[in-house]
Amino acid sequence: MSTTFLPCSVYHQNYAQDHAWWQTKFIKGKMILLALVLFGGIPYFADSYQLSICNTVGYTILGALGVQLLIGFCGQVTLGHAAFLAVGAYTSTLLILEFPWPQFLMDWGLAYPISILVAAVVAGIWSVLFGLPSAKVKGFYLILTTMAAQFITVDFIITQYISQIGGRGQAFSLPPGTIKVGPWVIDSDLKVYLMMLFLVILCCFIVLNLLRSRAGRAWVAIRDNDISAEVMGINVVKYKLLAFFVAGFIGGIAGAFWISNLAAISPEHFPWFWSLWLVGVILIGGVGSIHGAVFGSIFMVVVMEALQLAVLPLADTFPKLLMDFLFIKEAAFGLAICGFMIFEPNGLSYRWWQAKNYFNLWPFSY
Amino acid sequence: MELFFMTITTGIMVGGIYALVALGWVLIYKCSGVLNLAMGEMTLIGAYVSLTFYSMGVPFILSLAISLVIGFILGVLTERIFLDKLIGQPVLTVIMVTVGLSFFFKGTVEFIWGTDTRVFTPPVFALEAIRIGPIYIGQVYLWSFIAAMILLVVFVSFFKYTRWGLAMQATADDEMAALSLGVSARFVYAIAWAIAFMAAGVGGTLLGNINGLNISVGYLGLLVLPAVVLGGLNSVPGAIVGGLIIGVLQNLAGAYLDRYFPGGVKEIAPFVFMAVFLLFKPYGLWGWERIERV
Repeated sequence: MSTTFLPCSVYHQNYAQDHAWWQTKFIKGKMILLALVLFGGIPYFADSYQLSICNTVGYTILGALGVQLLIGFCGQVTLGHAAFLAVGAYTSTLLILEFPWPQFLMDWGLAYPISILVAAVVAGIWSVLFGLPSAKVKGFYLILTTMAAQFITVDFIITQYISQIGGRGQAFSLPPGTIKVGPWVIDSDLKVYLMMLFLVILCCFIVLNLLRSRAGRAWVAIRDNDISAEVMGINVVKYKLLAFFVAGFIGGIAGAFWISNLAAISPEHFPWFWSLWLVGVILIGGVGSIHGAVFGSIFMVVVMEALQLAVLPLADTFPKLLMDFLFIKEAAFGLAICGFMIFEPNGLSYRWWQAKNYFNLWPFSY
Repeated sequence: MELFFMTITTGIMVGGIYALVALGWVLIYKCSGVLNLAMGEMTLIGAYVSLTFYSMGVPFILSLAISLVIGFILGVLTERIFLDKLIGQPVLTVIMVTVGLSFFFKGTVEFIWGTDTRVFTPPVFALEAIRIGPIYIGQVYLWSFIAAMILLVVFVSFFKYTRWGLAMQATADDEMAALSLGVSARFVYAIAWAIAFMAAGVGGTLLGNINGLNISVGYLGLLVLPAVVLGGLNSVPGAIVGGLIIGVLQNLAGAYLDRYFPGGVKEIAPFVFMAVFLLFKPYGLWGWERIERV
């Protein structure tokens, strides 16, 4: 780590301090404040609509974390991440609906948590399967194979085969009350929100911890130059596949989480658009930092909602605007990516870092 | 056996259109090194423009010409507004800008023309099939193939014999040397985008004639990616051969594999094939092998 700005006369004396999560009292206070806002402030003050926006942000963060790990830290560009979200969501749904759970597990409400875990592992393995070409190809060719992952998984296997299981037709509906965590039935935005917070924080910790370990250093070395990394004795293939596994794992958690917010899932929830959206999120947030995934998700979701609110008053005079809002959203997203890439290629997290540095040195910036 | 020959012929005919679009893609990559993921949406724009003029009563050839002109203007504008500022940026940045462009184009097209399928009315080509020996070919396919081939010849001779084309070849070969000999690289980039836009527009129009025009024609534009990977990213003959092979392969998969894997095998087959092909021959049939050094 040691990217933290230490105040005067604070020095680290061993590596444990250097790698610590919260290195100064100020940072610790900041984090406690953040936790208070997230766990106390938002659930208390936000209404159902605002909570649902928060849930969308959380879902986007979970999806974008995996993409950030692959693109930002391991340098493996993926344009098919929605496929792994879909695998997670479908695994979890099928387990809940079809698997003969023992009665005591149902009573304790463990079916859904276990299915999330299984979904994450299955999505991780599926991701490794499509990461295998990364041993041989890289750059643009790898982008193409991950695109193939999207089309093969969502448009072919899930649409044509998985959706036929149980003869339910295209969409799997989840009856109310089937999603249960322990004694709580997840049926309101607030409960989804709390579960989302738990999962997002857990996944952020997983990724951050991995990044300060041997694996994380290997990933960064591969990203910076894979040939030098190999020369230095890093098993490139192993660590690339590990990155794919972890990214798929988190993607699976994201997908399995999202079914708690949906009444029914169908392949249309995981289009190619969503894969590109996740990549756009991290590019806007900033490649190569966890902050990037979080800021990008907040920015994209909030801006799109704001755009919708801005369109509403115009809807009386131009009803076409509201009817075709989805298309405006697409076009705006495209322009936003282009604009960020051209004018702000370092993303929002770079600005955040700049602002932090400014205030760290304030008022004597040298 | 007749089914086999018919599938192959249809495949070649459709593949001709893919080859045309793939040529535009390779051109951009060769000249400016941009890996363009907005090709599908570029086909959509050209197709919708010519459809609009055609349904206003303009003759088909003329509306195709109008879409060529508009494609030229849009291509130059796109290059000047978006891509010009990205020269020398990392690959991912440039790719994502083209992804952003694809969303922008797609959203705009959907907003203006809607998502319903539109057909060229009255049909441009006669509906009855032509019989050649034992096989029947739809006239749409035949004429599309001929049109695509004519344009391919026009484009290839443009590179070989005109001043602009030679400038483009020089830039693609060695940018530094071309610059020192007085070739304007920015001009070449703009022309490459303009030609790609024009080729994509014609390809989209022809595809729209076959099955009607809607957003999924943009997906067909994505099929150029397997085609160019097959041929090698920076090879013009590779793009043409790759387009033809992908066309044939797609139709063969539709005819024979559909029995075993019902559903969308026809759409998926090129991508599966591409993923497997990449494992064994990552630089395609005629692409330049890149040797990396630390």
